Amino acid sequence: MQGNTVNYEELIPGYEFSPTSYELSASLVSKYLQAVDSAGDGFVPPLAITACVIATMAGSFSLPPGTVAIHASQELEFFKLVPIGAAIECHTRVAQKITRGKMSMLILELDIFDQGKEKVQSGKTTIALTT
Amino acid sequence: MLTEIQEGKTLNPVVKHITQEKINLYAEASGDFNPIHVDESFAAKTPFGGTIAHGMLNLAYVSEMMTSAFGQNWLSGGKLRAKFKEAARPGDTVTINGKIDCVEQKDDVSYANCSFECRNQKGEVIVAGEAIVKLSIGKR
Repeated sequence: MQGNTVNYEELIPGYEFSPTSYELSASLVSKYLQAVDSAGDGFVPPLAITACVIATMAGSFSLPPGTVAIHASQELEFFKLVPIGAAIECHTRVAQKITRGKMSMLILELDIFDQGKEKVQSGKTTIALTT
Repeated sequence: MLTEIQEGKTLNPVVKHITQEKINLYAEASGDFNPIHVDESFAAKTPFGGTIAHGMLNLAYVSEMMTSAFGQNWLSGGKLRAKFKEAARPGDTVTINGKIDCVEQKDDVSYANCSFECRNQKGEVIVAGEAIVKLSIGKR
């Protein structure tokens, strides 16, 4: 997991976050399934992976004081299932940063790989920041 | 799972009741403790006036509907684009509906193009989007 926090101002298009690794343990999956009220099917739900990655990403930069960050849109593509207990690595970069008056949009692109370096999923997250 | 993949086919809806307890559980599972989701006194002072569910929680319900319809084809060959239009709040009941808009054939592979919506009990659209599922080769 990532430990450093970057200031929002430092996030410019092309900025790459340090890659983050996760172990998708049985307890993490079980907690996720309970939270989303689902039975599961023996694999890590793809959205459990996305959720953890987005949470880590959002926690890796500090927002201007008094700002509220809201998830505005999400694009995702799933390429392969990941077994419970597997490890993944996520690469994230800033695709765009838009400011319109009091509203800012931060668009982040992510690619997630398994231990064999095969792509598991990719996505684009838009975070709206408002005061 | 759907037995027939055809244009116009509606997907089995998913209905969920949002509670603060579920939001807190989701925060713990995902690690997303944004105070807008879990801190009622903080959230009360924002334009939302109270806590709201994580957008990804609603998206998990969309994925449940897609998994129920398409199984592993969705989980390992799905693609989605979603806009979070309104906030889901504790006490809301959300219903996710979807349908197959068209089935396309590209390079001997079939794709089901779907649209989905998540609405609250007042009929307000919380999440809307499109999803594409890669089906088995040659299947139509």
